[in-house]
Amino acid sequence: MDLMRDCLDKQLEDGNKRRMGRVDGIILDIEDGRQPHVAYIEVGVKTLMNRLSPRLASLATEPYRIAWGKVKVGLNKVVADVEAEETPALEWELWLRKKVIGRIPGA
Amino acid sequence: MKKILEIALGIVTSVGGFLEIGSIATAAQAGSDFSLQLIWAIVLGGICIIFLVEQAGRFAAVSGRTIPDAIRERFGFNYFAFLYLVLVLVSLIVLAAEIGGVCIALELATGFHFSLWAIPVALVVWLVIWKGTFGIIEKGVSILGLVTLSFVVGAYLINPPWSQVAQSALPSLPQHNSIHYWFIAVSILGATISPYLYFFYSSGAIEDEWNEGYIGINRIIATGGMSFGSIISIAVLILAAMIFAPQGVKFEHYSQLPTLLTPVFGYWGYWLIVASIGIACLGAAMEITLEIAYLTAQGFGWNWSENQRPLDEARFSVAYMIAILIGMLPILIGIDPLTLTIFGMALTAATLPVSIVPFLFLMNDYSYVRVYRNGWLSNAVVLVIIGLAFVLAVVAIPLQIFGGS
Repeated sequence: MDLMRDCLDKQLEDGNKRRMGRVDGIILDIEDGRQPHVAYIEVGVKTLMNRLSPRLASLATEPYRIAWGKVKVGLNKVVADVEAEETPALEWELWLRKKVIGRIPGA
Repeated sequence: MKKILEIALGIVTSVGGFLEIGSIATAAQAGSDFSLQLIWAIVLGGICIIFLVEQAGRFAAVSGRTIPDAIRERFGFNYFAFLYLVLVLVSLIVLAAEIGGVCIALELATGFHFSLWAIPVALVVWLVIWKGTFGIIEKGVSILGLVTLSFVVGAYLINPPWSQVAQSALPSLPQHNSIHYWFIAVSILGATISPYLYFFYSSGAIEDEWNEGYIGINRIIATGGMSFGSIISIAVLILAAMIFAPQGVKFEHYSQLPTLLTPVFGYWGYWLIVASIGIACLGAAMEITLEIAYLTAQGFGWNWSENQRPLDEARFSVAYMIAILIGMLPILIGIDPLTLTIFGMALTAATLPVSIVPFLFLMNDYSYVRVYRNGWLSNAVVLVIIGLAFVLAVVAIPLQIFGGS
């Protein structure tokens, strides 16, 4: 697998096809004398900011990590074996739903 | 039979959704300042948008992805962030111009200053998106937008010199005021080749669940819809050339627009203009608002669809609410909608390569579109026209602003 081509920036969904964001980063585990291996994928503003400039990254909160073992890389998307709404990936979505959108009639 | 109906409805919605304040303003200014001479700019832009819309539909039908989705995947976050900032900035200016267009129509109808209408218009745009479905916005508003065909009837009835109209379809050099001529040409290209048109079209194809079976239908809809749409823009230019130019009238304010149809339709011409501007701009404002929300949600991988409840896609809903709020502000503080429109369209032309060049890469990538990749003609036509629009924009915009000669 080509991680950059097949995994990075792909649409991320949970097992119920709920969109969670995109694969914003990939964490490799590198130890002396061993082959590097993929440890996690990351979702979050900090990871994105870090890709633009490490200075910007210091302003954001820590990203959400999903263990590589829970991840399946498909053709158009990456599926994680988690419940999206119980993860920090949808923290903002749920906050806006509760505090803003849910308070407007007809939502 | 079902397919014929689908094609007919697709063309009707494309025609109805084509004309907006940018096309009306730039065509009217071209007609008043340079008579029929700038028809070629609409023809050139029309050819380019036919190719781009066809490609956007083909891409969505074959790859199952929207354009922002694929640009983020293929070119990474850093390029996407650059494209996102440029497109959102330009789209917000164009959105402000469209909201301004609806406000102008209401000013013409009621006599109340356009800035007073900014908040009510923004609320209507929000309410229709909030409560409506994609079908209502795409088809409902676009079908109402067919009132803009009154420009075509008007242009036919005014009986222009048709041989000169045909000759003007080919580019020619200006006889006077060359900087302004090229600036208006650029604005026409920006108004015709609007990125929101093909971005919205590709999102629509996903919303309507298109697949490879739609490739033929897509080709007919794109060609028919965009061709007829361009004909409406040409009709506005002809009317301005026949009515404004001979009297030496410069098109400098939207309040002059009703005089385009009153010589042909009398009293009703006034109300046809009001309805045409109001409905066309309202439809465009909704489409641009949605396009900004689509771009944001698709690029960041959020839940999105105009067919879902706002509660199920809170970030998508907040994105379009913020867009409407920002888009309304310039009109609320009284910035002249015509100035905003003309510069918004020129800026659109200058930024076209930012979104179109990566899109052309995608249209030639086997892993996305397989055997449905672009041929050399599709690539060449789009590249030449956006290259021309970009060069003209980079030269003409600073000269127009800083008054070169």
